[in-house]
Amino acid sequence: MSGSVVPESRSVHIEQEEVQRFCEFLYRRTGMSFTQGKRYFIDRRLEDRIAATGSSSFQAYFSLLRADADHEIEHLINSFTVNETYFYREDHQLRCMTSSLLGGIAGLKPPGSTIRIWSIPCSTGEEPYSIALWLMENWPQVDNYNIEIVGSDIDTRALKAAAEGIYGERALMRLSRDIVSRYFKPVGDGTHQIDEGLRGSIEFTRANLIDPQDMVRYRDFDLIFCRNVLIYFDDASRRQAAENLYDCLRPGGYICLGHSESMSRISPLFGVRRFPNAIVYQRPEADHG
Amino acid sequence: MPLVKGGAKGAGDSGDLAPQRPTLASSDAESRWTAARALAGRAEAVPELAEALCRETVPRVREAIMTALMRVGDSASVEAILPCLRSQDAGLRAAAIESLQAMPDAIAPFLPPLFGDGDSDVRLLATELARNMKASEATRLLCDLIEREQHPNVCAAAIDVLTEVGTPLAIPVLERCAARFAETPFLPFAVSVAVARISGSEG
Repeated sequence: MSGSVVPESRSVHIEQEEVQRFCEFLYRRTGMSFTQGKRYFIDRRLEDRIAATGSSSFQAYFSLLRADADHEIEHLINSFTVNETYFYREDHQLRCMTSSLLGGIAGLKPPGSTIRIWSIPCSTGEEPYSIALWLMENWPQVDNYNIEIVGSDIDTRALKAAAEGIYGERALMRLSRDIVSRYFKPVGDGTHQIDEGLRGSIEFTRANLIDPQDMVRYRDFDLIFCRNVLIYFDDASRRQAAENLYDCLRPGGYICLGHSESMSRISPLFGVRRFPNAIVYQRPEADHG
Repeated sequence: MPLVKGGAKGAGDSGDLAPQRPTLASSDAESRWTAARALAGRAEAVPELAEALCRETVPRVREAIMTALMRVGDSASVEAILPCLRSQDAGLRAAAIESLQAMPDAIAPFLPPLFGDGDSDVRLLATELARNMKASEATRLLCDLIEREQHPNVCAAAIDVLTEVGTPLAIPVLERCAARFAETPFLPFAVSVAVARISGSEG
Protein backbone atom coordinates (compact mmCIF):
# COMPACT_ATOMS: atom_id res chain seq x y z
CA MET A 1 0.00 0.00 0.00
CA SER A 2 1.41 3.33 -1.02
CA GLY A 3 0.77 4.93 2.34
CA SER A 4 3.17 2.62 4.12
CA VAL A 5 6.17 3.12 1.89
CA VAL A 6 8.92 5.16 3.43
CA PRO A 7 11.20 6.63 0.79
CA GLU A 8 14.91 6.56 1.31
CA SER A 9 15.85 9.41 -0.96
CA ARG A 10 14.31 12.65 -2.08
CA SER A 11 15.21 14.10 -5.42
CA VAL A 12 12.15 15.90 -6.74
CA HIS A 13 12.52 19.66 -6.72
CA ILE A 14 9.35 21.56 -5.83
CA GLU A 15 8.90 25.11 -7.07
CA GLN A 16 7.59 27.84 -4.82
CA GLU A 17 4.48 28.23 -6.95
CA GLU A 18 3.81 24.52 -6.68
CA VAL A 19 4.06 24.72 -2.92
CA GLN A 20 1.62 27.60 -2.95
CA ARG A 21 -0.80 25.66 -5.11
CA PHE A 22 -0.46 22.64 -2.88
CA CYS A 23 -1.02 24.73 0.24
CA GLU A 24 -4.22 26.14 -1.22
CA PHE A 25 -5.43 22.62 -1.91
CA LEU A 26 -4.50 21.43 1.56
CA TYR A 27 -6.27 24.38 3.13
CA ARG A 28 -9.43 23.80 1.16
CA ARG A 29 -9.53 20.12 2.06
CA THR A 30 -8.46 20.29 5.66
CA GLY A 31 -8.34 23.88 6.87
CA MET A 32 -4.65 23.35 7.63
CA SER A 33 -2.86 26.51 6.72
CA PHE A 34 0.88 26.66 6.07
CA THR A 35 2.91 29.67 5.05
CA GLN A 36 6.23 29.87 3.23
CA GLY A 37 7.83 29.99 6.66
CA LYS A 38 6.96 26.31 7.02
CA ARG A 39 8.56 25.48 3.70
CA TYR A 40 10.90 22.88 5.13
CA PHE A 41 8.05 21.10 6.92
CA ILE A 42 5.93 21.12 3.77
CA ASP A 43 8.69 20.11 1.37
CA ARG A 44 9.82 17.21 3.49
CA ARG A 45 6.35 15.72 3.71
CA LEU A 46 5.53 16.42 0.08
CA GLU A 47 8.76 14.83 -1.07
CA ASP A 48 8.00 11.80 1.06
CA ARG A 49 4.58 11.40 -0.49
CA ILE A 50 5.89 11.98 -4.01
CA ALA A 51 8.45 9.24 -3.47
CA ALA A 52 6.01 6.93 -1.69
CA THR A 53 3.56 7.10 -4.57
CA GLY A 54 6.24 6.70 -7.21
CA SER A 55 5.32 10.03 -8.78
CA SER A 56 7.89 11.47 -11.16
CA SER A 57 7.13 15.10 -10.41
CA PHE A 58 5.10 17.38 -8.23
CA GLN A 59 2.55 17.75 -11.02
CA ALA A 60 2.19 14.00 -11.36
CA TYR A 61 1.72 13.70 -7.63
CA PHE A 62 -0.73 16.61 -7.50
CA SER A 63 -2.89 14.99 -10.18
CA LEU A 64 -2.89 11.77 -8.22
CA LEU A 65 -3.72 13.67 -5.06
CA ARG A 66 -6.61 15.54 -6.62
CA ALA A 67 -8.04 12.25 -7.89
CA ASP A 68 -7.56 10.78 -4.41
CA ALA A 69 -5.97 7.69 -5.96
CA ASP A 70 -5.33 4.96 -3.37
CA HIS A 71 -6.74 7.24 -0.65
CA GLU A 72 -3.79 9.55 -1.13
CA ILE A 73 -5.56 12.45 0.57
CA GLU A 74 -5.79 10.40 3.76
CA HIS A 75 -2.11 9.44 3.51
CA LEU A 76 -1.18 13.05 2.94
CA ILE A 77 -3.22 14.26 5.91
CA ASN A 78 -1.64 11.59 8.06
CA SER A 79 1.77 12.85 7.08
CA PHE A 80 0.84 16.43 7.92
CA THR A 81 -0.66 15.68 11.31
CA VAL A 82 1.03 14.43 14.42
CA ASN A 83 -0.90 11.27 15.13
CA GLU A 84 0.82 10.21 18.28
CA THR A 85 -0.76 11.58 21.40
CA TYR A 86 0.63 12.29 24.79
CA PHE A 87 -0.24 13.91 28.09
CA TYR A 88 -0.70 17.69 28.11
CA ARG A 89 -0.74 17.85 24.30
CA GLU A 90 -1.73 21.35 23.12
CA ASP A 91 -1.68 22.43 26.74
CA HIS A 92 -2.57 26.00 25.80
CA GLN A 93 -6.14 24.73 25.51
CA LEU A 94 -5.94 23.16 28.95
CA ARG A 95 -4.65 26.49 30.23
CA CYS A 96 -7.55 28.22 28.50
CA MET A 97 -9.93 25.79 30.18
CA THR A 98 -8.80 26.74 33.68
CA SER A 99 -7.99 30.39 33.09
CA SER A 100 -10.97 31.39 30.95
CA LEU A 101 -13.63 28.78 30.27
CA LEU A 102 -14.38 27.18 33.61
CA GLY A 103 -14.72 30.50 35.38
CA GLY A 104 -17.65 31.36 33.14
CA ILE A 105 -19.15 27.90 33.37
CA ALA A 106 -18.82 27.71 37.15
CA GLY A 107 -20.15 31.24 37.52
CA LEU A 108 -23.52 30.00 36.33
CA LYS A 109 -23.65 27.02 38.68
CA PRO A 110 -23.85 26.85 42.46
CA PRO A 111 -20.99 25.08 44.25
CA GLY A 112 -21.64 21.38 44.48
CA SER A 113 -23.21 21.16 41.07
CA THR A 114 -21.81 19.20 38.16
CA ILE A 115 -19.53 20.29 35.35
CA ARG A 116 -19.40 17.87 32.43
CA ILE A 117 -16.37 17.60 30.15
CA TRP A 118 -16.12 15.32 27.12
CA SER A 119 -13.05 14.11 25.30
CA ILE A 120 -13.94 12.70 21.89
CA PRO A 121 -12.12 10.96 20.35
CA CYS A 122 -10.15 10.05 23.44
CA SER A 123 -7.92 7.43 21.81
CA THR A 124 -5.99 5.61 24.54
CA GLY A 125 -6.93 8.03 27.28
CA GLU A 126 -4.12 10.57 27.35
CA GLU A 127 -6.49 13.49 26.75
CA PRO A 128 -9.20 12.80 29.35
CA TYR A 129 -6.55 11.95 31.95
CA SER A 130 -4.70 15.14 31.02
CA ILE A 131 -7.87 17.13 31.59
CA ALA A 132 -8.27 15.50 34.99
CA LEU A 133 -4.64 16.08 35.99
CA TRP A 134 -4.68 19.65 34.78
CA LEU A 135 -7.82 20.41 36.76
CA MET A 136 -6.42 18.82 39.91
CA GLU A 137 -3.22 20.79 39.58
CA ASN A 138 -4.40 24.12 38.20
CA TRP A 139 -8.01 24.93 39.01
CA PRO A 140 -8.47 26.28 42.53
CA GLN A 141 -12.21 25.63 42.47
CA VAL A 142 -11.81 21.98 41.64
CA ASP A 143 -13.06 20.85 45.04
CA ASN A 144 -16.18 22.99 44.84
CA TYR A 145 -17.76 21.13 41.96
CA ASN A 146 -18.48 17.60 40.84
CA ILE A 147 -16.56 17.19 37.64
CA GLU A 148 -17.61 14.48 35.25
CA ILE A 149 -15.11 13.61 32.55
CA VAL A 150 -16.18 11.26 29.78
CA GLY A 151 -13.77 9.83 27.22
CA SER A 152 -15.28 8.39 24.05
CA ASP A 153 -13.86 6.80 20.95
CA ILE A 154 -15.05 4.63 18.09
CA ASP A 155 -12.15 2.21 18.64
CA THR A 156 -12.93 -0.22 21.42
CA ARG A 157 -9.32 -1.42 21.61
CA ALA A 158 -8.24 2.13 22.33
CA LEU A 159 -10.93 2.40 24.99
CA LYS A 160 -9.72 -0.76 26.67
CA ALA A 161 -6.20 0.66 26.77
CA ALA A 162 -7.57 3.94 28.11
CA ALA A 163 -9.32 2.17 30.95
CA GLU A 164 -6.10 0.33 31.82
CA GLY A 165 -4.19 3.61 31.82
CA ILE A 166 -0.70 2.24 31.21
CA TYR A 167 1.73 4.51 29.35
CA GLY A 168 5.32 4.59 28.21
CA GLU A 169 7.82 7.33 28.86
CA ARG A 170 7.07 9.02 25.54
CA ALA A 171 3.43 9.60 26.44
CA LEU A 172 4.51 11.14 29.75
CA MET A 173 7.26 13.38 28.34
CA ARG A 174 5.35 16.62 28.93
CA LEU A 175 4.55 15.84 32.56
CA SER A 176 6.83 16.92 35.38
CA ARG A 177 8.59 14.24 37.41
CA ASP A 178 6.57 15.44 40.36
CA ILE A 179 3.24 14.82 38.65
CA VAL A 180 4.38 11.44 37.39
CA SER A 181 5.45 10.42 40.87
CA ARG A 182 2.19 11.54 42.44
CA TYR A 183 -0.29 10.21 39.89
CA PHE A 184 1.45 7.21 38.32
CA LYS A 185 3.10 4.05 39.53
CA PRO A 186 5.76 2.10 37.61
CA VAL A 187 4.46 -1.21 36.33
CA GLY A 188 7.56 -2.50 34.56
CA ASP A 189 9.29 -2.20 31.19
CA GLY A 190 9.47 1.55 31.57
CA THR A 191 5.71 1.91 31.68
CA HIS A 192 3.56 3.65 34.26
CA GLN A 193 -0.05 3.15 35.27
CA ILE A 194 -2.17 6.14 36.18
CA ASP A 195 -3.65 6.40 39.65
CA GLU A 196 -6.52 4.02 40.34
CA GLY A 197 -8.73 6.81 41.64
CA LEU A 198 -8.35 8.73 38.39
CA ARG A 199 -8.97 5.62 36.33
CA GLY A 200 -12.13 4.96 38.28
CA SER A 201 -13.44 8.47 37.95
CA ILE A 202 -13.43 8.73 34.18
CA GLU A 203 -16.09 7.01 32.12
CA PHE A 204 -14.89 5.52 28.85
CA THR A 205 -17.56 4.86 26.25
CA ARG A 206 -17.78 3.98 22.59
CA ALA A 207 -19.26 6.70 20.40
CA ASN A 208 -19.38 7.45 16.70
CA LEU A 209 -19.14 11.17 16.15
CA ILE A 210 -21.15 11.21 12.98
CA ASP A 211 -23.95 8.90 14.06
CA PRO A 212 -26.90 10.89 15.48
CA GLN A 213 -28.40 7.76 17.03
CA ASP A 214 -25.16 7.12 18.85
CA MET A 215 -24.64 10.72 19.87
CA VAL A 216 -28.14 11.22 21.24
CA ARG A 217 -26.94 9.49 24.43
CA TYR A 218 -24.54 12.34 25.09
CA ARG A 219 -26.02 15.58 26.29
CA ASP A 220 -25.45 18.52 28.62
CA PHE A 221 -21.69 18.86 28.28
CA ASP A 222 -20.22 22.16 29.37
CA LEU A 223 -16.99 21.62 27.47
CA ILE A 224 -15.99 19.28 24.67
CA PHE A 225 -12.49 18.53 23.45
CA CYS A 226 -12.78 17.25 19.89
CA ARG A 227 -9.30 17.57 18.50
CA ASN A 228 -7.66 16.43 15.29
CA VAL A 229 -10.44 14.24 14.01
CA LEU A 230 -12.73 16.44 11.89
CA ILE A 231 -9.96 16.96 9.35
CA TYR A 232 -10.29 13.32 8.41
CA PHE A 233 -13.96 13.66 7.44
CA ASP A 234 -15.48 14.77 4.18
CA ASP A 235 -17.58 17.94 4.16
CA ALA A 236 -20.92 16.26 4.75
CA SER A 237 -19.63 14.14 7.63
CA ARG A 238 -17.91 17.13 9.16
CA ARG A 239 -21.12 19.11 9.15
CA GLN A 240 -23.01 16.20 10.61
CA ALA A 241 -20.41 15.87 13.37
CA ALA A 242 -20.67 19.60 14.09
CA GLU A 243 -24.43 19.36 14.41
CA ASN A 244 -24.09 16.35 16.68
CA LEU A 245 -21.62 18.19 18.88
CA TYR A 246 -23.95 21.17 19.00
CA ASP A 247 -26.67 18.99 20.45
CA CYS A 248 -24.26 17.47 22.97
CA LEU A 249 -23.36 20.86 24.43
CA ARG A 250 -25.37 22.88 26.86
CA PRO A 251 -26.33 26.31 25.52
CA GLY A 252 -23.25 28.45 26.14
CA GLY A 253 -20.98 25.39 26.23
CA TYR A 254 -17.58 25.37 24.55
CA ILE A 255 -15.81 23.15 22.09
CA CYS A 256 -12.04 22.97 21.57
CA LEU A 257 -10.77 21.72 18.20
CA GLY A 258 -7.25 20.82 17.11
CA HIS A 259 -4.86 23.61 16.17
CA SER A 260 -5.31 23.00 12.46
CA GLU A 261 -9.09 22.85 12.59
CA SER A 262 -11.62 25.64 12.31
CA MET A 263 -15.28 25.25 13.11
CA SER A 264 -15.97 28.40 11.12
CA ARG A 265 -15.06 26.49 7.99
CA ILE A 266 -17.38 23.64 8.88
CA SER A 267 -20.55 25.11 10.27
CA PRO A 268 -22.02 28.49 11.21
CA LEU A 269 -23.70 27.01 14.28
CA PHE A 270 -21.03 28.09 16.75
CA GLY A 271 -19.69 31.45 17.79
CA VAL A 272 -15.93 32.07 17.78
CA ARG A 273 -14.43 33.05 21.14
CA ARG A 274 -10.90 34.34 21.31
CA PHE A 275 -9.27 33.88 24.70
CA PRO A 276 -5.67 34.70 25.62
CA ASN A 277 -4.58 31.07 25.38
CA ALA A 278 -6.79 29.67 22.66
CA ILE A 279 -9.59 30.15 20.16
CA VAL A 280 -12.59 28.05 21.07
CA TYR A 281 -16.11 27.72 19.72
CA GLN A 282 -19.27 28.32 21.70
CA ARG A 283 -22.82 27.16 21.30
CA PRO A 284 -24.95 30.31 21.57
CA GLU A 285 -26.64 30.83 24.92
CA ALA A 286 -29.96 31.13 23.14
CA ASP A 287 -30.89 29.73 19.78
CA HIS A 288 -31.86 32.70 17.67
CA GLY A 289 -32.26 30.53 14.67
CA MET B 1 -11.79 13.45 44.86
CA PRO B 2 -13.80 16.10 42.97
CA LEU B 3 -13.96 13.92 39.89
CA VAL B 4 -17.10 11.86 39.63
CA LYS B 5 -18.13 9.26 37.12
CA GLY B 6 -21.00 10.43 34.97
CA GLY B 7 -20.98 9.00 31.50
CA ALA B 8 -23.49 9.19 28.72
CA LYS B 9 -26.78 10.70 29.59
CA GLY B 10 -29.38 12.95 28.15
CA ALA B 11 -32.91 13.46 27.04
CA GLY B 12 -32.43 10.96 24.27
CA ASP B 13 -31.42 8.02 26.43
CA SER B 14 -33.97 5.88 24.66
CA GLY B 15 -31.90 6.32 21.54
CA ASP B 16 -35.09 6.47 19.51
CA LEU B 17 -35.33 9.38 17.12
CA ALA B 18 -38.36 8.04 15.30
CA PRO B 19 -41.05 9.83 17.33
CA GLN B 20 -39.47 13.14 16.32
CA ARG B 21 -39.65 12.38 12.61
CA PRO B 22 -43.06 13.93 11.86
CA THR B 23 -42.03 17.26 13.34
CA LEU B 24 -40.27 18.57 10.23
CA ALA B 25 -43.47 20.52 9.64
CA SER B 26 -43.69 21.62 13.27
CA SER B 27 -44.06 25.26 14.19
CA ASP B 28 -41.25 24.77 16.71
CA ALA B 29 -37.77 25.31 15.24
CA GLU B 30 -36.17 22.91 17.73
CA SER B 31 -38.47 20.13 16.60
CA ARG B 32 -37.73 20.84 12.96
CA TRP B 33 -33.98 20.85 13.71
CA THR B 34 -34.24 17.49 15.43
CA ALA B 35 -36.39 16.07 12.68
CA ALA B 36 -34.03 17.23 9.94
CA ARG B 37 -31.08 15.66 11.74
CA ALA B 38 -32.93 12.39 12.13
CA LEU B 39 -33.48 12.29 8.37
CA ALA B 40 -29.82 12.74 7.45
CA GLY B 41 -28.71 10.31 4.79
CA ARG B 42 -32.16 8.83 4.24
CA ALA B 43 -32.83 8.83 0.52
CA GLU B 44 -36.55 8.21 0.95
CA ALA B 45 -36.79 11.44 2.94
CA VAL B 46 -35.38 13.69 0.19
CA PRO B 47 -38.80 14.91 -1.07
CA GLU B 48 -39.82 15.81 2.47
CA LEU B 49 -36.50 17.55 3.10
CA ALA B 50 -36.76 19.40 -0.21
CA GLU B 51 -40.20 20.66 0.66
CA ALA B 52 -39.04 21.73 4.11
CA LEU B 53 -36.02 23.54 2.67
CA CYS B 54 -38.25 25.67 0.46
CA ARG B 55 -40.24 27.02 3.37
CA GLU B 56 -37.62 27.01 6.15
CA THR B 57 -36.62 30.44 7.41
CA VAL B 58 -34.48 29.55 10.43
CA PRO B 59 -30.79 29.38 9.34
CA ARG B 60 -29.85 26.67 11.84
CA VAL B 61 -32.65 24.39 10.65
CA ARG B 62 -31.83 25.15 7.02
CA GLU B 63 -28.25 24.07 7.68
CA ALA B 64 -29.47 20.80 9.17
CA ILE B 65 -31.75 20.16 6.19
CA MET B 66 -28.87 20.78 3.79
CA THR B 67 -26.59 18.50 5.80
CA ALA B 68 -29.27 15.81 5.70
CA LEU B 69 -29.44 16.18 1.90
CA MET B 70 -25.64 16.20 1.60
CA ARG B 71 -25.51 12.94 3.49
CA VAL B 72 -27.76 11.41 0.82
CA GLY B 73 -25.73 13.11 -1.89
CA ASP B 74 -27.72 11.93 -4.93
CA SER B 75 -29.21 13.85 -7.83
CA ALA B 76 -32.50 14.29 -5.99
CA SER B 77 -30.60 15.98 -3.17
CA VAL B 78 -28.95 18.30 -5.66
CA GLU B 79 -32.32 19.14 -7.21
CA ALA B 80 -33.64 19.97 -3.76
CA ILE B 81 -30.90 22.49 -3.09
CA LEU B 82 -30.55 24.05 -6.56
CA PRO B 83 -33.51 26.46 -6.22
CA CYS B 84 -31.63 28.14 -3.35
CA LEU B 85 -29.15 29.50 -5.91
CA ARG B 86 -31.90 31.89 -7.02
CA SER B 87 -32.69 33.08 -3.52
CA GLN B 88 -32.52 36.75 -2.65
CA ASP B 89 -30.95 35.70 0.65
CA ALA B 90 -27.14 35.81 0.22
CA GLY B 91 -26.65 33.54 3.23
CA LEU B 92 -28.90 30.91 1.72
CA ARG B 93 -27.13 31.14 -1.64
CA ALA B 94 -23.76 30.73 0.04
CA ALA B 95 -25.01 27.79 2.09
CA ALA B 96 -26.36 26.17 -1.06
CA ILE B 97 -23.04 26.59 -2.88
CA GLU B 98 -21.18 25.06 0.04
CA SER B 99 -23.55 22.12 0.19
CA LEU B 100 -23.51 21.49 -3.55
CA GLN B 101 -19.72 21.73 -3.70
CA ALA B 102 -19.61 18.82 -1.30
CA MET B 103 -21.41 16.64 -3.86
CA PRO B 104 -19.13 17.02 -6.89
CA ASP B 105 -20.18 13.79 -8.61
CA ALA B 106 -23.87 14.40 -8.14
CA ILE B 107 -23.70 18.02 -9.27
CA ALA B 108 -21.75 17.38 -12.49
CA PRO B 109 -24.75 16.56 -14.74
CA PHE B 110 -26.48 19.72 -13.57
CA LEU B 111 -23.69 22.09 -14.52
CA PRO B 112 -24.33 22.33 -18.30
CA PRO B 113 -27.93 23.49 -17.81
CA LEU B 114 -26.85 25.82 -15.00
CA PHE B 115 -24.16 27.30 -17.26
CA GLY B 116 -26.87 27.85 -19.85
CA ASP B 117 -29.22 29.53 -17.42
CA GLY B 118 -30.75 32.83 -18.52
CA ASP B 119 -29.78 34.47 -15.22
CA SER B 120 -26.12 35.56 -15.23
CA ASP B 121 -26.07 35.50 -11.41
CA VAL B 122 -26.94 31.81 -11.47
CA ARG B 123 -24.27 31.11 -14.10
CA LEU B 124 -21.73 33.02 -12.03
CA LEU B 125 -22.56 31.13 -8.83
CA ALA B 126 -22.55 27.83 -10.69
CA THR B 127 -18.91 28.23 -11.67
CA GLU B 128 -18.03 27.68 -8.01
CA LEU B 129 -19.65 24.26 -8.16
CA ALA B 130 -16.87 23.06 -10.44
CA ARG B 131 -14.17 23.83 -7.90
CA ASN B 132 -14.27 20.47 -6.16
CA MET B 133 -14.76 18.42 -9.30
CA LYS B 134 -12.08 16.37 -11.01
CA ALA B 135 -9.71 18.72 -12.83
CA SER B 136 -10.41 17.28 -16.28
CA GLU B 137 -14.18 17.49 -15.86
CA ALA B 138 -14.07 20.96 -14.32
CA THR B 139 -11.81 22.19 -17.11
CA ARG B 140 -14.08 20.81 -19.82
CA LEU B 141 -17.25 22.29 -18.33
CA LEU B 142 -15.76 25.69 -17.55
CA CYS B 143 -14.12 25.96 -20.97
CA ASP B 144 -17.46 25.21 -22.65
CA LEU B 145 -18.98 27.98 -20.59
CA ILE B 146 -16.23 30.50 -21.32
CA GLU B 147 -16.35 29.86 -25.07
CA ARG B 148 -19.94 31.05 -25.35
CA GLU B 149 -20.33 33.31 -22.32
CA GLN B 150 -21.01 37.00 -23.04
CA HIS B 151 -20.99 38.33 -19.50
CA PRO B 152 -17.48 39.34 -18.38
CA ASN B 153 -18.23 38.73 -14.71
CA VAL B 154 -19.29 35.16 -15.38
CA CYS B 155 -16.12 34.62 -17.41
CA ALA B 156 -14.07 36.11 -14.59
CA ALA B 157 -15.65 33.72 -12.09
CA ALA B 158 -14.96 30.77 -14.36
CA ILE B 159 -11.37 31.91 -14.87
CA ASP B 160 -10.90 32.17 -11.13
CA VAL B 161 -11.94 28.55 -10.69
CA LEU B 162 -9.77 27.44 -13.62
CA THR B 163 -6.82 29.23 -12.04
CA GLU B 164 -7.02 26.74 -9.21
CA VAL B 165 -8.19 23.57 -10.92
CA GLY B 166 -7.62 24.05 -14.65
CA THR B 167 -5.52 21.78 -16.82
CA PRO B 168 -3.41 22.90 -19.83
CA LEU B 169 -6.38 22.18 -22.10
CA ALA B 170 -7.88 25.41 -20.78
CA ILE B 171 -5.05 27.62 -22.02
CA PRO B 172 -6.20 28.17 -25.64
CA VAL B 173 -9.74 28.78 -24.42
CA LEU B 174 -8.47 31.30 -21.90
CA GLU B 175 -6.38 33.06 -24.51
CA ARG B 176 -9.37 33.36 -26.85
CA CYS B 177 -11.38 34.74 -23.94
CA ALA B 178 -8.70 37.37 -23.27
CA ALA B 179 -8.78 38.42 -26.92
CA ARG B 180 -12.57 38.54 -26.96
CA PHE B 181 -12.70 40.74 -23.87
CA ALA B 182 -9.62 42.82 -24.69
CA GLU B 183 -11.58 45.99 -23.89
CA THR B 184 -12.33 44.74 -20.39
CA PRO B 185 -8.86 45.02 -18.82
CA PHE B 186 -9.43 42.87 -15.76
CA LEU B 187 -10.24 39.83 -17.88
CA PRO B 188 -6.97 39.67 -19.87
CA PHE B 189 -5.18 40.19 -16.57
CA ALA B 190 -7.13 37.36 -14.92
CA VAL B 191 -6.38 35.16 -17.93
CA SER B 192 -2.66 35.93 -17.71
CA VAL B 193 -2.63 34.90 -14.06
CA ALA B 194 -4.55 31.72 -14.83
CA VAL B 195 -2.35 30.77 -17.77
CA ALA B 196 0.81 31.42 -15.78
CA ARG B 197 -0.50 29.31 -12.94
CA ILE B 198 -1.65 26.44 -15.12
CA SER B 199 1.39 26.35 -17.39
CA GLY B 200 3.76 27.01 -14.49
CA SER B 201 2.40 24.08 -12.59
CA GLU B 202 3.23 21.88 -15.54
CA GLY B 203 6.86 22.61 -14.80
